[in-house]
Amino acid sequence: MKVVEINDVSKTYHDTEVEVKAVNGVTLSFEKGDFAVVVGPSGSGKTTLLNLIGGLDQPTGGEIIVAGHRLSELRPSELIDFRMEHVGFVFQSYNLIPVLTAAENVGFIMNLQKWPKEKRKARTDELMQSVGLADRHNSRPSQLSGGQQQRVAVARALAPRPEFILADEPTANLDSKSAETLLDIMEKLNREEQMTFIFSTHDIRVMKRARRVITLEDGRVISDERTNGDE
Amino acid sequence: MKDYQLAWKNLWRNRRRTLITAASVFFAVFFALVMRAFQLGTYDKLYRDVIESYTGYLQLQQSDYFDEPGLDNSFEVDPAMLMEFEDDPNVTAVVPRLESFALAAAESRTQGVMVLGMDPEGEDKALNIRNRMVRYKLTPEAAEAIRNAGVPQRTERLLDVFLNQSYTDESRLITDLGINNADTASVMPVIRRYAFFRNGYLTAEDTGGVIIGSGLSAFLKAEVGDTVTLMGQGYHGTTAAGIYTVRGVVKLPAPDIDNILVYLPISEARDLYAAPGMATSAIISLRNTDDKAVIQTRERLNLIKGDNQALRTWQEMNALLLNQMEADNRSGAIMIAILYLVIAFGVFGTVLMMLAERRREFGMLVSIGMQKGKLAKVVSMEMLLIGFLGVAAGVIASLPIVFFGNARPLRLTGEIARMYEDYGFEPVMPMLLPDTYYLWQVVVVLVILLFTVAFSVRKIFKMNVINALRA
Amino acid sequence: MITSIAWKNVWRNKTRSLTVIAAVTIGVFAGVFSMAAINSSVVQRINAAVNEELSHIQVNNNDFRSSSDIRDLISNPDEVISVLEKTNGVTGVTGRIIVRGIASTSAGSTGVEITGIDTGKEQQMFTIDRKLIPGTGSYFGSDTKFNTAFIGEKLAKELNIIRYILSTEALSGLETKGVPSSVIEKLRPLEGQRFTTEKKFSAAYSELISEREKKRYGLTIKETAWSYREGSRIILTFLDLNNNQTGAAFRISGIYRTNNDLFESLTVFVPASELRQLTGIGEGQYHRLIARLENDDLTDGVTPVIREALPEYEVMNWKEIQPDLAMIADYINQIYAVFMVLILAALAFGIVNTMLMAVLERTRELGMLAAIGMNRRRVFMMIMLESIFLSFVGGVAGMAVSGIVIAITGRTGINLVKYSEGMEAFGYSAHLYPVIGAEFFVTLTVLIVITGIVSAIYPARKALKLNPVEALRGE
Repeated sequence: MKVVEINDVSKTYHDTEVEVKAVNGVTLSFEKGDFAVVVGPSGSGKTTLLNLIGGLDQPTGGEIIVAGHRLSELRPSELIDFRMEHVGFVFQSYNLIPVLTAAENVGFIMNLQKWPKEKRKARTDELMQSVGLADRHNSRPSQLSGGQQQRVAVARALAPRPEFILADEPTANLDSKSAETLLDIMEKLNREEQMTFIFSTHDIRVMKRARRVITLEDGRVISDERTNGDE
Repeated sequence: MKDYQLAWKNLWRNRRRTLITAASVFFAVFFALVMRAFQLGTYDKLYRDVIESYTGYLQLQQSDYFDEPGLDNSFEVDPAMLMEFEDDPNVTAVVPRLESFALAAAESRTQGVMVLGMDPEGEDKALNIRNRMVRYKLTPEAAEAIRNAGVPQRTERLLDVFLNQSYTDESRLITDLGINNADTASVMPVIRRYAFFRNGYLTAEDTGGVIIGSGLSAFLKAEVGDTVTLMGQGYHGTTAAGIYTVRGVVKLPAPDIDNILVYLPISEARDLYAAPGMATSAIISLRNTDDKAVIQTRERLNLIKGDNQALRTWQEMNALLLNQMEADNRSGAIMIAILYLVIAFGVFGTVLMMLAERRREFGMLVSIGMQKGKLAKVVSMEMLLIGFLGVAAGVIASLPIVFFGNARPLRLTGEIARMYEDYGFEPVMPMLLPDTYYLWQVVVVLVILLFTVAFSVRKIFKMNVINALRA
Repeated sequence: MITSIAWKNVWRNKTRSLTVIAAVTIGVFAGVFSMAAINSSVVQRINAAVNEELSHIQVNNNDFRSSSDIRDLISNPDEVISVLEKTNGVTGVTGRIIVRGIASTSAGSTGVEITGIDTGKEQQMFTIDRKLIPGTGSYFGSDTKFNTAFIGEKLAKELNIIRYILSTEALSGLETKGVPSSVIEKLRPLEGQRFTTEKKFSAAYSELISEREKKRYGLTIKETAWSYREGSRIILTFLDLNNNQTGAAFRISGIYRTNNDLFESLTVFVPASELRQLTGIGEGQYHRLIARLENDDLTDGVTPVIREALPEYEVMNWKEIQPDLAMIADYINQIYAVFMVLILAALAFGIVNTMLMAVLERTRELGMLAAIGMNRRRVFMMIMLESIFLSFVGGVAGMAVSGIVIAITGRTGINLVKYSEGMEAFGYSAHLYPVIGAEFFVTLTVLIVITGIVSAIYPARKALKLNPVEALRGE
């Protein structure tokens, strides 16, 4: 099943006099269960492409369809709600709300969607368990290590059962061990729940684990390889 | 780059914060200035009204008169001494008076009055009495006639508001009746004709005439030409009584005085009270009326006066009024103090935030070689600049309002006006032109800034560079 | 949940938040307390006016108030009395004879309003008898061989009836009042000397003691030396019914002290019977009939009822007789509102600055929140709530502190006598007992919340304008 369809999408910036085509005529699609990585040098358009897929930005050309929704038809305020229901985000840093505990962070979106208390608690417990932080419900982000914070971020992103999770350089600030742990968890979730993951990264560790590697250069896809990854 | 240039540039790095902080200072300064302009202007007018129409700046009295005013403490007038007084460079005239209390009766109304025996010409020279004689009065008949003659609607309405008011000059009449420049030429002749008040004045030899205040005239229902009886206690307890004709009506600006004043030629007063050659006080009219000049004049005249006499300044004579105004003044000052206190907290909070935010930057500057002293200097300048910005803006914004309020004082009407008059104040609120009170605002803001500067400098000197760099 | 996040956000930077909250607390406290102080003097003035000077309703002939003509007696007093007594809400009725005249002693004379009263009835309706200065006699207590008068302290001073004498006992009595013996010794040269005016006495002792001692003990010395010789006499002169000048010597039965200098110097109370004899006014004849109501609030309702029943007379209530009393209460309310708004506006600057900082340093976080799905309304609410919390917490603290201080000073009072000569001339007491109605606090709370809301607008707009993409990229 196609989760994301990207049809001839472009994003052009007008930087003073110069026209910059950050994304230039990209056509791609992602299937459910994909564990894909978008790689390329700085300035290749990775982050811009992810922003477009996630509905954080609107393309200047082409169409993006996520789970049947045409993103171009959504107004900015609708995009926010759309993101809340359908997209999970894991950023490089500053993922969590500092004044809330880990559990509260995980339950944040569920709270916004007004889930009843029991359901919320149940799912939070389940998710915290999956990311291996069952004993850290009441810790504040400042009390967690970088890797733990990222894991909580994953749990939070998963909570509303989005179509896919977008992770922009999630391991950039982590040491090897934490990075490995994080990737293990993401792989597990991908396997067990068929959750689609789309990463952008520089990190070889991430690339090695991926089962699909999309290479961008100057805003164009120059290769799109499906591999078996680490089995 | 000079220090102050650096300071100026720094301010604009965080433009919003600079502007908001300066705006808060502006706010406080502006309101403080306008409020003080009102308050001080009103006091000034109050004092002037009483001094310039009644007490004068300096008075010669018998020593005990001040504590026990009464005919028994009058003094014998020595013409030679008064002439010596007049020789003083700052003295323009010396006018003796005989003042006492009496009961005035006209038809069947009686009222306690202040009888002021004076020299009509001298008193006019010293206190401008002739200019205070009523020229126009908006009697019901006059108002009716004016309406019939046709005047703008606004003026018609205002005729009701100011019914029965007396006027000593046209300018107030024009303001009260809302006559603007365009209408003056057509409306004024009408008003002059119907509202004109036939008035007279006293001469020193007039043996049966009095001038009464407009408030007294209204109360006793005594007009020019009517009879008034005066009864009282004379010198050394004799009975005083006499019948007089009203020659004219005067309007003094202080309602308290206007409601009870009766002018009498001093020779008549002396007859009435059986006090030949006596005076209860002598008004000393001055050229330069500044506080300093008044005191210096008094010192000079003290050498000439008799042993049993004393020279009283207007502050002493109006002690009660001064006290009241002081109380009011204090309450106003407290309100402004509270305002400044609140603003001070705001400024201080902003400074705290700013210091915290720039800790890293300061650490960096000092580590690359900037002296802490120089850094402190620049930062202090930044604060002072913000303060001055706010003060300057406040001052500039206030000036047009203060000048306007001075030229065209706010005139209260309706119930509030009546309340003021009941308390003896004319219901006008003029503003005082820029004076030392402007300086005070600058001083207060400076004090606030000084605290923040001191705090900041201390923080900079106590800063541990390494910790700061880690911020 | 947004609420709890907003609350927690406020405390992220404790120093900053506490500074703003402290400012609000102080501003609110200052505003409320000063208003309570001023309000109290108004309340006191109204009470004094009603209970000592005017009572609630006055009835007289239509011309009497302006003419004060002695012949202007009430045409049908029995009718008026019966109407008043029958009216609902009236608890007491009494009549007065009022004659303008002069009071004099050898020291001087001054105009007064001689008020002939029914001493028994008036004691029930007015509290002026309680204003008797202890030691000056009584409220028409002792026998009336002479004509007697109850006069005010200001009048007594004007006529030099009150003197200042530091008798031997008074001098030693100073010690019990806390005056050190060194000062007492300095004052010894004045022992037994009689001073006819306060000023002379003041001048005399000022020469003997230092400025500082004068400041501290001056008032006590004056109070102790204050003396009055019982049974002093004044001469009252006035016109009788036939317009002939008449009068008599009156023995002073007692001296009263209110906070109203004007009233004290003007109003001389004498028993009506004595005044009748001198003026020729007959029994049962009055210039003015006065009704007292159960409480002040009934005034507006009862006045028209009486007016309708007595159309030929002038019927006025205390608010109409002294409109400035009712007006001052309103006037003060308006000034209060303006003052509080000014203070809150000044505070708003600080709150805006604080909130701006709070928003600008959270750019990335706000970008993240928008990215994961927090819509604009929620972001706006969050920031607005943070601002409201700042102002509300400070406001509550300020109101609580002022409430406590008002409760305490309301009982102990604030003594402004040193600064107050001017106030008493207008009838305002120099002892303030701060009091404020609950409505003030309600209005104030609303204003405080509004301040929080208004202060949040600019920072919140800034937050909403953030583009998540740029915000996420970092500053």
